[in-house]
Amino acid sequence: MECAGCARPLQGFTNFGSTLNHQRPSGSGQGGPLRRRDLLKGLATFGLGVPRVRAHASPAFRDVATEVGLNFQHFNFATGRHYMPEIMGAGAALLDYDNDGDLDIYLVQGTRLDHGGKLLSPPPSGWKPGSRLFKNLLAETGELRFVDVTEMAGVGHIGYGMGVAVGDYDNDGFLDLYVTNFGHNVLYHNNGDGTFADVTRQAGVDDTHWSTSAAWVDVDGDGWLDLFVCNYVDFTVEGNRGCSSPAGEPDYCTPKMYHAVPSRLFRNLRNGKFEDITEASRINSSYGPALGVLCADFNGDGRTDIYVANDTSANLLWLNQGDGTFRESALDMGVAYSMDGLAKAGMGVTLADVENNGGLVLLVTNLTREGVSVFRGDAHGQFDDATADFGLLQPTFGYTGFGAQWFDYDNDGWLDLFIANGGVTLGSAWPARGSRYAQRKQLFHNEGCGRRFRDVSSEAGSVFQIAEVSRAAAFGDIDNDGAIDIVVANNNGPVRLLRNQIGQRRHWLTVKLESEKVNRFAIGARVTVIRRGNDALVRRVHTDSSYLSANDVRVHFGLGDQPEIEAVQVSWPDGSKERFASVKCDRIVTLRQGSGKLL
Amino acid sequence: MRACACSCGLLLALAALCIRAQGQRLPELPQVDASGFLPAIRAQVELAERNARERPRDPAIAGALAMTLHAYQQYDAAERAYSRAHSLDPQNFDWLYLLGAVQMAQGAFDRAVKTLQSALQIRPGDLAAEIRLAESLIAVPDWNGAATLYCRILDDRRECPQAWYGLGRAQAAKGDHAAAIESYGKACELFPAYGVAHFALAAELRRLGRKPEAERHIAAYAKNVTSEPPLDDPLFQRIHELNLSSQAHLQRGAELEKAARLDEAIREHEAALANDPGNVQAHVNLIALYGRAGDPGKAKQHFEAATRLNPGRSDAWCDYGVLLYMQKHFDEAEKAYQRALEINPDYAEAHNNLGAIYEQLGRLADAEKEFRAAINDRPDYPLARFHLGRILVNEQKYDEAIHQLQRALTPDDDKTPVYLYALGATYARAGDRAHALEYLQRAHDAASRYGQSELLASIDHDLKALQSAE
Repeated sequence: MECAGCARPLQGFTNFGSTLNHQRPSGSGQGGPLRRRDLLKGLATFGLGVPRVRAHASPAFRDVATEVGLNFQHFNFATGRHYMPEIMGAGAALLDYDNDGDLDIYLVQGTRLDHGGKLLSPPPSGWKPGSRLFKNLLAETGELRFVDVTEMAGVGHIGYGMGVAVGDYDNDGFLDLYVTNFGHNVLYHNNGDGTFADVTRQAGVDDTHWSTSAAWVDVDGDGWLDLFVCNYVDFTVEGNRGCSSPAGEPDYCTPKMYHAVPSRLFRNLRNGKFEDITEASRINSSYGPALGVLCADFNGDGRTDIYVANDTSANLLWLNQGDGTFRESALDMGVAYSMDGLAKAGMGVTLADVENNGGLVLLVTNLTREGVSVFRGDAHGQFDDATADFGLLQPTFGYTGFGAQWFDYDNDGWLDLFIANGGVTLGSAWPARGSRYAQRKQLFHNEGCGRRFRDVSSEAGSVFQIAEVSRAAAFGDIDNDGAIDIVVANNNGPVRLLRNQIGQRRHWLTVKLESEKVNRFAIGARVTVIRRGNDALVRRVHTDSSYLSANDVRVHFGLGDQPEIEAVQVSWPDGSKERFASVKCDRIVTLRQGSGKLL
Repeated sequence: MRACACSCGLLLALAALCIRAQGQRLPELPQVDASGFLPAIRAQVELAERNARERPRDPAIAGALAMTLHAYQQYDAAERAYSRAHSLDPQNFDWLYLLGAVQMAQGAFDRAVKTLQSALQIRPGDLAAEIRLAESLIAVPDWNGAATLYCRILDDRRECPQAWYGLGRAQAAKGDHAAAIESYGKACELFPAYGVAHFALAAELRRLGRKPEAERHIAAYAKNVTSEPPLDDPLFQRIHELNLSSQAHLQRGAELEKAARLDEAIREHEAALANDPGNVQAHVNLIALYGRAGDPGKAKQHFEAATRLNPGRSDAWCDYGVLLYMQKHFDEAEKAYQRALEINPDYAEAHNNLGAIYEQLGRLADAEKEFRAAINDRPDYPLARFHLGRILVNEQKYDEAIHQLQRALTPDDDKTPVYLYALGATYARAGDRAHALEYLQRAHDAASRYGQSELLASIDHDLKALQSAE
């Protein structure tokens, strides 16, 4: 396979003036104590040649959740009656809710479904119920530390929480939260003063079904984010069906025991209200038990499409027709089923240019004994099952995957892969390994240039050796050091904050977009880093994908050992393109629409 | 003398080493916690385990334990037991072959390749083993190895659809799409119901822009999604027969019901209950099965059993409602559907059926409400849309009726001719003669296609009347 970056062709260089806001990583040169890492960065900028350590002396990730005050345990409130929602949650979000430049964390919590049964693992006394918001104190103190601000913020919804979607739906510059539940969903409007208001009813975006992942997406290109909500199955507590393992042990049911419920699409009316356009948009003409969603332009027509991963049913690709309707095209485009034509579980989703060739690669996580599904797109928007090609079938076969993401953990310029795993039935469990549903997380290194992915889980840190029932995984740079970290939410278990310990050893760039013309954070934009003598790196601006999760809205690029950026090009959601020159590496930059050179 | 004693001592030491080494190489028997298993299964597994511990060096007994565990997807434990059986009887094909199979089931394809290769050295040319080996090579992936093996299989067995399909996969992966199309085509020709082969062929044809052909194969795939050519595998048949779980009986029962073998389906479900009297699903299925077999008394007994075991089974209530409706006990049927909806307010079938009762009783406003609820819960419910469409026509709300009937046309099945007919009639009543003719003609074509002669006659009558009214 041709690999432009490997042959290093020369590229032309054009210098344009631009207005850029260079934001240094928080904690460096802003009044707090100067840390050794910052000093080293400063020295590198002045060209004193501080050597970059290639060999990874320390493991890639370390769980620092309790160290930094992120004390959260999810409870599924199981009573032994095997209610399906118990095994499916819950979600996590990374967002800068207070616009102080660092990422805060929102974690979704469960509650009692059944007030009759005895809890198998009850919460401790003094425990605070409801979902929680943790504020990052990095900006204020220069140290990574979290404090629970839920009560002050007013976002502690008590319900059987599932997922969370992050987006600025009213374009006021502050990110809002949509929390899905088994039961009523909740829209929290960010008031911009550290507090939120529950505006669900006024906005008209409630859904009383079992909702799972959700995504903010501008479907009509009017610059205002609309909302897609995945719905799962018509399970009710009273209607719980007893299921069993192959050997007859009581177990959780699969979605095949129930009926799927159609997902919903709400159009933003730009006045704080939404209109349910599910029927009008034809997005209910096909549906399945939906668990994962991501929004991107799959066919290169400039409009944002919606991909839905359905559990044990064909996945769906809704191609935006531009007239308020969608056409379901997953089978046509090769992303409905894997190679064998059989529907697989379909939980987490992630999409990116993994081969640095401008093409899209879509990954869907599935059940144990299915392996992930990886679909590689060609120039015509047609996809093929490339799971075995990427070397990902065998290593994922023994796992039930949930949250997942293509991301560059070592900043070598190639997108790697993380998967949060955890069983859902005893059939997916490996009793010899101890716990009945627990499984280990996985990290795969992209070997680049068309080579396969390598399973590096055993070297990635002791947290990868812990078997848990992992679900959501949200990705973002929580300490602004240029290395992507991961928040992993465990079902009936503690949250994990996997701090990246090696990415900052190579060059990187983080881009935050701002716009007054499209949605404020430019969700749906594409950012391209053009480097002399190297592959261009393309990333999309999104908070969706993974499972029940919301990711950092900033876009991250690993630049390897080639720090020279010729330019950064932005394709805005309104179709306009701008080029920004003089962008330096190893920093977070904010690019505003209208301040670059229009192409 | 001393040299002789030294030699003896050396020999004895060597012998001891050999014995110890042999003992060390023998894999341990698995420890299985069967306490949560169904009683009949627990007894079966515990007996197999007891036998294996009482006769620890008997390979057949170890193998029997492995097969029992294999039957219940206890793959990890089965692998260890197969390994032990193989160690005790290294020249026995069965243990190696089945060991390879459970390694495949755990995703250890690289190990499965080695194991199955060893098995084929004992019994070369065993088709089931060759097919599994080739599948493992595909999963690794070793496309060249898989292609070579499939070609070798086809050298001896040109009529093997699995080998043609597998060869197609390897060829497609290596970029030889023309060859892949040929191979997939051959697989479909040899076994026309080969769902996955049709799917793969459609994908290749689509890649080449041959869309109409691709769509034909997608249609064939859709009719045969899980259908595969049979592979003679006596060992797997033995494992299948070991399975006492109700799931296995229910699955067989469902397959028989689909094949319209009602009596046999009932027997399978009753067998499931013999092993597991508390299996609610079996009771629920038997409500419908006995109802269709014309034995409402038995159907009612199973309804009572199902709801005694789990009062929250909305499907039991709904099926009971159907039974009562068939017996024209409309009041009781209404109560049954309402109970189903109390348990699950989103139960589309219950809403639809309740709507049908209300329509029967002349309560059209209530009927409309129920049909709308059914469609809200299941937008792809053609029958509910059809019912709602008819009510709207009677209210002369033609535009909305047409919208509902249009939505009822997907998916295309043997009820589509009726929906097309209704749509044609609605257009006629709305005064749109052109569309009326169009849809009546389509109804005619669809009814012909499905061999619905009575309906065809009725459509033709109306079509002629409309044409002559010009």
